[in-house]
Amino acid sequence: MRGKVAIIGVGMIPFGEHFQKSLEDMAAEAYITCLESVDKGIAPKEIKAAWFGQWSGGTIGQGAQAGSSLASIIGNMEIPITRVENGCPTGADTFRNACLGVASGVYDVVLALGVEKMRDKPGSESLIAAGGGTGAIMGQHPSWMMGHGGPSLQAFYATRQMYELGFTMEDFAKVAVKNHHNGTFCPYAHYRFEVTVERVLNSPLVCWPLHLLDCCPQTDGAAAAIVCRADLAKKYTDKPIYVLGSNVGHDHANYWDKHNFIEMLATVRAARGAFEMAAVKPEDLDFAEVHDCFTNTELMNIEDIGICRKGEAAKLLNEGEFDTKGRIPVNPSGGLKAHGHPIAATGIGQICEVVWQLREEADKRQVKIKSGIGLQHNVGGPGFGVSGVNILSRSL
Amino acid sequence: MSSPAPASPLFWRFNPEVYRLIGVRCKDCGHITYPRRKICPICGSLNLEEHKLSRRGTVQTYAINWVLPPGLEPPVPVVIVDLEGGGKYQGIITEVTNPEDVKIGDKVEMVLRKVVTDRGLNIYGYKFRLVEEG
Repeated sequence: MRGKVAIIGVGMIPFGEHFQKSLEDMAAEAYITCLESVDKGIAPKEIKAAWFGQWSGGTIGQGAQAGSSLASIIGNMEIPITRVENGCPTGADTFRNACLGVASGVYDVVLALGVEKMRDKPGSESLIAAGGGTGAIMGQHPSWMMGHGGPSLQAFYATRQMYELGFTMEDFAKVAVKNHHNGTFCPYAHYRFEVTVERVLNSPLVCWPLHLLDCCPQTDGAAAAIVCRADLAKKYTDKPIYVLGSNVGHDHANYWDKHNFIEMLATVRAARGAFEMAAVKPEDLDFAEVHDCFTNTELMNIEDIGICRKGEAAKLLNEGEFDTKGRIPVNPSGGLKAHGHPIAATGIGQICEVVWQLREEADKRQVKIKSGIGLQHNVGGPGFGVSGVNILSRSL
Repeated sequence: MSSPAPASPLFWRFNPEVYRLIGVRCKDCGHITYPRRKICPICGSLNLEEHKLSRRGTVQTYAINWVLPPGLEPPVPVVIVDLEGGGKYQGIITEVTNPEDVKIGDKVEMVLRKVVTDRGLNIYGYKFRLVEEG
């Protein structure tokens, strides 16, 4: 992959509550914004294939989504389009598949687009829908989802992080404080307000030890990226961003097969493969956009990606290392926590942020660019057993 | 043999697993998993033997859920339990006066309770109860 693929344009809509917009409206806006971002211009007909990220279609009542859905949205029946669904890393994996389409040599220019309509459902219903319902799931385990929703599956980890690593609920709350602060500077973020540790800890318990403000919001959103052969990139833009590594990793879908509850091997595997492909190391990163669906998850991700050792993330957070002006900023966009988590749009939205940061176009939330390398990460799916990692660079 | 209720495939499929707690043990890597599988999820081996799970174990991790699917009243302590003799089981703690009494390392035992209703049939399964020590 390294050296073969470049991003020439990215675009997204502000994430948030878009009750007035359909899934199709949001996708079209992200697509148009993405096309317009290609500074030397691109004709839509130059796009020869597309990958369409869509998680919720067919599962929470929006109807099945497929290639024809995106073909209709962008008004192009002449190209092959594949829908990608791979849990919360759907966006990361949609982007990865688009990159593989180019790296394979089959297509010169392709589109990756992710869109999600989450907010039509009340938050509590969506969390429960994502978790799997009241009780037994056929063919799996008699009680595997009984009493569960999305937050409780992550709370299993939070409890064990506190017990085994000495992390505290205050540490978790400080992730929210940091990411909400970053979100106030991001015009695309869903939540643009500050929170304090006290406010997080006084917000209602969703699933102990996680409070409402430890959880990312239910968000509508869409994001897109156009990638092309690296050797053609300068035809479209003076500021191409290159894809160094892209990987998906797995861990068991079932919690009872896991070896511990303080690390996510899906992330470990995805990151390890992406770094190998990119031929860079975690210490080469200028910053990272990681999957903070819950505050404790961000600390776990930072460790699992290899930015620090297991058990160190809370200490480094408290020392300010992950602040926008810190040694290695994490989630300058506000993260899922403040920016929002419209599932298939989330990963591609993070790619947009990494591109803007590497181009030094991120205004008040701009991080310091030294090596010119940034990372995007998601984790989720059954058992939080799917992770996607993309490593981008402003030079080859 | 005909199904007692063709409209409830759930009942039919769960029978050996749920009531007799039959899982499998991998003869190559030793991993115990449940419900039964044909392939070891850890090492991919096909060399598996039936393994009856213990009904007792200790709490590996837990959470206390306040936002629950319909049919359950909050708060509900949810747990992953390390079973005696190997294997893990995911379930909920029942019959606990104060959910905050649940802690990592607590001894628990399974009790048979109704877990769900599927097309008019009561489906039973195991929940956990805290074991009084001493």
